[in-house]
Amino acid sequence: MKRYLLGLGCLLGLSVCSSPTPNHADTVRIRWARDPENLDPLVLPNAQAVETTNLLHCSLLTVDYAQKKFVPWLAETMPTVRRTDSLTLVTYRLRPEAAWDNGQPILASDVAFTLKVMSCPGLPNEAARAQFAFIESIQLDSLDRRRFTLAFRGKSPDLVQASGDYPILAEHQLDPRGQLRHISLAALRADTVQATPRRSASVTAFARGYAQKNLGRHPENLPGSGPYVLKEWRAGRHVLLQRKKQWWGDRVPAAPPQLRAHPKTLDYQIITDDATALLALRRGDIDVYPMMPAKEFVRLRQNQKAGDLAFYTADSYEMLAAGFNMRQPALRDALTRQAFSHLFDIPGLIQASQQGLAYPSVSLVSPTAGPLYNDSLPLLTFDPQKAQALLTQAGWTRNSQGWTRHPAGAAPQRLEPTFSYRAGEPAYEAVALQFRAAAAKIGIQVQPRPMEASLFSQQLRAGRLEIYLQSLSGNPFVYNFAPILHSQSTGWGNFTGFGTATTDQLIEAIAAEEDPARQAQLLRKFQRVLRQDCPLVVLYFLRYRLAAARRLTNLHVTGIRPGYEAAAIKSQPAGAVRP
Amino acid sequence: MGRFLLHRLLRALLAAWAIISVIFLLSRAGAQERPPASRLAEGSLSATTASPVQRRQAGQLQQRRLGLTGPLFYVSAAPAPAAGLGWRWHWNGRANQYHQWLRRLVHANLGVSFRDGQPVTLLLGQSLRYTLPLTVGAAVCSIGLVWLVAPHLGRPSWRRRFLLGLFFVVDAVPLFVVALLLLLLLANPDALAWFPAYGLGPEDAAAPWPVRLQALAYHLALPLLTLTLASLPALAVPLDAALRHELRADYVLTARAKGLPDSLVIRHHALRNALLPALTLLTELLPGLVAGSVVVELVYSLPGMGRLLAEAAAAHDYPVLLGGVLLIALVRLLGQLLADWLYTLADPRIRLPV
Repeated sequence: MKRYLLGLGCLLGLSVCSSPTPNHADTVRIRWARDPENLDPLVLPNAQAVETTNLLHCSLLTVDYAQKKFVPWLAETMPTVRRTDSLTLVTYRLRPEAAWDNGQPILASDVAFTLKVMSCPGLPNEAARAQFAFIESIQLDSLDRRRFTLAFRGKSPDLVQASGDYPILAEHQLDPRGQLRHISLAALRADTVQATPRRSASVTAFARGYAQKNLGRHPENLPGSGPYVLKEWRAGRHVLLQRKKQWWGDRVPAAPPQLRAHPKTLDYQIITDDATALLALRRGDIDVYPMMPAKEFVRLRQNQKAGDLAFYTADSYEMLAAGFNMRQPALRDALTRQAFSHLFDIPGLIQASQQGLAYPSVSLVSPTAGPLYNDSLPLLTFDPQKAQALLTQAGWTRNSQGWTRHPAGAAPQRLEPTFSYRAGEPAYEAVALQFRAAAAKIGIQVQPRPMEASLFSQQLRAGRLEIYLQSLSGNPFVYNFAPILHSQSTGWGNFTGFGTATTDQLIEAIAAEEDPARQAQLLRKFQRVLRQDCPLVVLYFLRYRLAAARRLTNLHVTGIRPGYEAAAIKSQPAGAVRP
Repeated sequence: MGRFLLHRLLRALLAAWAIISVIFLLSRAGAQERPPASRLAEGSLSATTASPVQRRQAGQLQQRRLGLTGPLFYVSAAPAPAAGLGWRWHWNGRANQYHQWLRRLVHANLGVSFRDGQPVTLLLGQSLRYTLPLTVGAAVCSIGLVWLVAPHLGRPSWRRRFLLGLFFVVDAVPLFVVALLLLLLLANPDALAWFPAYGLGPEDAAAPWPVRLQALAYHLALPLLTLTLASLPALAVPLDAALRHELRADYVLTARAKGLPDSLVIRHHALRNALLPALTLLTELLPGLVAGSVVVELVYSLPGMGRLLAEAAAAHDYPVLLGGVLLIALVRLLGQLLADWLYTLADPRIRLPV
C-alpha cells in the first residue's frame, strides 16, 4: 500500500514540477464557450465561426466598433449610391493594395465570383443564398478591373450596408478553370436542386470540387484576404490563428483602424464550463473572458486580489423579452396582455439576475439609440393593482376559482396561463418565479414550464405556448422588425401572432426609410403601437461583460457581438502594467 | 459454448438493429418539423435582407440537402379519403429515408455530420481518442483501489466503517460537484494550483512519447481522479456485501483454521468467489468506457465522446447521435455477452442454455 502511494505521489510530483509553461508574450488567448464547428464561409453556424471567418477573410465593408458604423475594408471608400426608377445601383472600387497571399490583386471578378458561389446550387449556401438574393446583378467596369456596380430593388440603407457584408472568395483558388465564369448570376439563381438535370456539367463539377475542399473543417484550403491564417484547429479544444507576415493591409498608407491587426497569434481556447473558464482566467491560462456571467463578473471585480485583471462593460443590443401568444384565446385582447406586462418587476429582475448589469427599455429599440428611442413613453412599472384593474376592464372577474370571463358566443375562459422558457438559464428561471409570485398575489395561477431547448423551439413554432421568454438580438445599424413581428413571419420567427396590414406596412416603411429623421418618427410610432398592443414586453437589454488581463489594451469593447475586436488588441510590455 | 456465443451474438445484433431503428425513426420524425437555417437565426433582428418567404425556402433547401425530406419509412399514413372510414396506409417503396440510411449502415457508412460534413466514423474515432484514456484509466484506477481496500471490506472493523462511510458520502455527492470541488481545491490559485484547470494542453507531435504521455497524465489527472472517485462506490459497496456473504462460508472457516491471515483469506479465497456478482458490472462498465462522461468532459473541457453526443443532441445532428448510440448499444450488448462467457470461466458449474 505504501509503495503504491509513494509511486503515485512521485508521478504527481513529477507531473506538477514539469508542467509545460508555454510562452504567451505575443499571443492573445481568448475564451470561447463552444467550438466554431464549421468554418466554411458559406455556412457560419455560430458566432465563433463568424468571428474566425472575419479574421481569415475580408469583406467589402466591415464594422467600426468604436463608431458603431460600417466602414470600407476591401472597398476603397464607402460605395456611391444611385437610384433609378426601380433599382438601386451601388458602385464599389476595391483598394489598389488589396491582394491575395500569392500577390494576385483582388478584383471585381472575385466579387462577382463570390456572389455566384453564394447562389450556386449544390453547395451548403442556403442561408447566404436567401440573405443576398436581393442583389440582382453585378456589372463589372470594363475600364477598371477593381470597379463594379451592384444592382438591387429596394431603397433601404440597410441593403447598401448588406451589399458589402460577406467574405470575398478567391476565384483563382476555388475555380481555377473558370467553370462558373460563363454562367450568369440569374441562371444560377434560377437553378435549383430539383432541376438537377438542367444543371450544366460545369456547375456540377464546381460543386463537387467545392465539396472536396472540405472547407468546413479545413478552411486552410481556401486562403483568404484577411490578416490571419489558420495555424491549428483542434475541434473542441482550441483554434489558433497566426498573423500573416505579409498582409496587404500593411501596405496601405495611413491605414485606418480596420486595417490594423496587432496580435501575432490569436489562441481561442474552448472552455465549455463558466466556472472552469473563471479559474483559467485567474490562473492566467487565458487573457480575455468575454460574455462573463454577471454574478462572477461582479464578484471578481470586487475581489481585491484580481489586480492583474481589467473589467469592461458595454451596452449591448441583446435583450430578454416576454412574448404573449396572441393566438391563444385568453391573450387575444390587448388589455389582458397589458395587465400581464405590469406583473414584471423589471428593476428587481435586473438586480437579481444580472446584478444590475442590464438596462430597461420601453420597447425593442435600445435607449442608447438617441432620437430613434421613444423616450416619451414611460418605462413599464411593476403594478399588480393596475394589472387587476386592466383585467377587470378586459372582462375578467375574480372569484374563488381565480379569474374567469364569459365572452359572448364563446366558451368560458379561465386565466391560468403557462409561462414557458428554455431550461438551464438561471435568469429565465428568476423571471418565471417572480412573475408567478406576482400573479399569485392577485389570484392568477401561473404554471412555469421550463423546457429543453429544441422542444421549446418546436412548441414555439407550433404556437402552443402562451407566455414565453425569448432572447432577441439587434444591432445599431438595422431596424427591421419583420423577422419577429411581420404577419408573414408568423410561426417562423414571429411567435406572438402579431401583425395586421397596418403594422406590416409600418414595419416595411421603417426598413425602407432612407431619411434618418423620418425613420426616427416611424420608429417612435412603432414603439407606441407595440406598447399599446403589447405582443411582447422587453424586460431588459444586457450589458456585455468582459474581463481581460490588464496588460492588454485597445480591446474595443462593444455591445455588438463578439463584444471586442480581437485584431485590435495590443499587448503592453510586462513592466508597463500597473494594477 | 460456440453455439451459445453465436446465438447470443446474433441476438445482440438484432437487438442493436431494433434499438437504432427506433431511435432513427423517432429522431427523424421530429426533424421534419424543424427546418434549420443557421445564419437566419430566430430572434435575430440582423438577418433582415431575407424575406420571410426566402427564409422558409432556405430552411426547406437545407432540409433537402441533409436528406430530411421524402417519406420516412416504407409505409406512411395516407390522408383519409373523403368517404373512408379512417386511415389508409401508403406504400413508399424503397425511396424512403430509413431505407437509404440502412443501406449505408450495412456498408459501414454512418453518414456525415449535419454540422460540419465530416464522416461520423471519423468524429467518433477522434472523440474516443480522448475518452478512452480517461475512462479506461479511471476504470483501472478504480479496480486497483478496490483491490487495495478489499482486505478491509466484508469484516467488521473501524477501517471498513470508515471506508464505507466515505464511499456513501462520495456516492451521494453529484458528479459535477465532485469535479468542481477538485478544481477549486487542486487547480485554484487561491488554494493549490497543482493541476491545469481544463483541456489537454498544447500537443507537440514532435516530442518523444514519454514526454507526451507525461503531459497527457498531467492534464488528465483531475478528470481521472473525479471519475475514479465517482466509480469507486459502485464497485466497492457490492463487493463488500459479497465478501460479507463469502466470509461466512465454510471454506473461509477452513482457511482460517489452517492459520492463514485475514488478508490472505480474503485475497486468495473469498475475493475470487465474491467477484462473481461483480462480473455483471461489466455490462455497465464497458458502454460507460465508450460513452464517456458528459459532466466530466464539460467541466474539464475535454472533447470526448460524452460531449460529442450531448452537443450532437442539442444541435439535432442526427447522424452523429445515431452513430454514437449504435456504438454504445453494440458495446453494451457485447459486454453482456462477455459477462456470460466470464461466468462460465469463473464458475464451471454454470451452464448456459442455447
